[in-house]
Amino acid sequence: METFLSVSGKLAQGFGTTLSLFFLTLLFAIPLGLLFACISRVRLKALRFLMRAFIYIIRGTPLLLQLMIVVYLPGIVFNNPLTKWPVFKGNVPLSYFCGALFAFVINYACYFAEIFRGGIENIPKGQYEACEVLGMSHSQTFFRVILLQVIRNIVAPMSNEVVTLVKDTALARTVSVVEIYFAASEILRLQFIIWPLFYTGAFYLGFSALLTLLFGMIEKRLSRYWR
Amino acid sequence: MKKKILTALALTGIFAFSACTKTEAPAPAAASNTRSESDFEDISAKGKMVIGITIYEPMNYYGENHVLTGFDTEFAGEVCQRLGVEPEFQVIDWDMKETELKSKNIDCIWNGLTVTEERRANMDFTTTYLVNKQCVVINSANASTYTDKASLASAMLSAESGSAGESAITGDDTLSSASYTASNSQQDALVALNAGNYDAIVIDYTMAKASVGSGDFASLQIVDGIELANEEYAIGFRVGSDTTAKVNSIISDMIKDGSLAELADKYDMKELYEQAVK
Repeated sequence: METFLSVSGKLAQGFGTTLSLFFLTLLFAIPLGLLFACISRVRLKALRFLMRAFIYIIRGTPLLLQLMIVVYLPGIVFNNPLTKWPVFKGNVPLSYFCGALFAFVINYACYFAEIFRGGIENIPKGQYEACEVLGMSHSQTFFRVILLQVIRNIVAPMSNEVVTLVKDTALARTVSVVEIYFAASEILRLQFIIWPLFYTGAFYLGFSALLTLLFGMIEKRLSRYWR
Repeated sequence: MKKKILTALALTGIFAFSACTKTEAPAPAAASNTRSESDFEDISAKGKMVIGITIYEPMNYYGENHVLTGFDTEFAGEVCQRLGVEPEFQVIDWDMKETELKSKNIDCIWNGLTVTEERRANMDFTTTYLVNKQCVVINSANASTYTDKASLASAMLSAESGSAGESAITGDDTLSSASYTASNSQQDALVALNAGNYDAIVIDYTMAKASVGSGDFASLQIVDGIELANEEYAIGFRVGSDTTAKVNSIISDMIKDGSLAELADKYDMKELYEQAVK
């Protein structure tokens, strides 16, 4: 029979997978989102249009569907199943994890891109003009003046997305990634104990609390010279 | 001042809430007292038996004109008729079946339910009426590669998490050495097998027979001649329910008068029925 400790151990192990999915998604999605935001602002009309169309498609379809596409489509359409890709060396759980990670990164990069774009476009024109007067180059203007202000502007919407990501990781269970919710439902299916399912809520809540505190601190810090 | 008003409001709220719970508390207790005496009296008083199911062929599924049919649907209909109550089929989340049963949302689970020792803690089983035979399903393109257990020893396998198929793999000397990944459901396992993510999956024979070879699963096939550990199907009632004995006697009547065998034959499961009641 399961005890509170043994269940906690199993759930913690699942939560480890949840956390790796969470941090790796952020690690890749933030720079990719910045790239997407820049591309959706370039002068070349065709490229700008393509980028915005892609963002529209990703934001307009459920993440659940995107997970299915990443995991099943290579095998069904291209006859090249994800689990048999040489990079994974026959490790099925790893291939599913990477597939899920890919879907999460693309999905979140698109949301981040829109947040970044909003943040960039919110900077008054006068700032660019001032930089030009001072003789700064385009990249100097962006990295030394604009980006820093963008970061402060986007902290609130980003914290929103990041907290959503914590909970969205539960969707990975649909493609056989054994994260915390899958671990809890496995205990339920094998031993018919229900409470671990609700207990997962404590893990999500605890982690969200940490993130909320962290973002509160960042916000406070960044608004030090503001107002 | 504002704070004081708020505290006062909050306190009245708490009092109001506790008052509500206090007045309401005796009602359900009284109801459950009369209820707990006989589960069957409760069902016959309602005039209906609420049967927890999930939709899957050939047990409970929508046939022509979107009418619920299937082996278990017809079987339950016949048993309920002999009990003198109406069957009411309630689609449930299979993971939540124990909770549904305990909370009395449903009166029984009747949907190809496998008998396991662990489940006895949460429900009483009737006599078994079908064998839940497990079978190996592969892509037809690999038919010459995977012919027996030994050829599957280094394959990528999957089954539904916590299913009889999973225990058939993990409990098997040869198959347990293969690479195994749990799927969310038998359907998910079929889709992943179809995509080539797995080499073979182990699912219920009834499910395999109904799905393999049709629609998008036309390219899949059952591997004949691989014997796996089988489990048995029964109906699950609440622990201590007196309905179990009543249903048991109806089942043995149906076995004697041949009506259950006839039903099994109709759904192409005669072999599974004979193995269970022999």
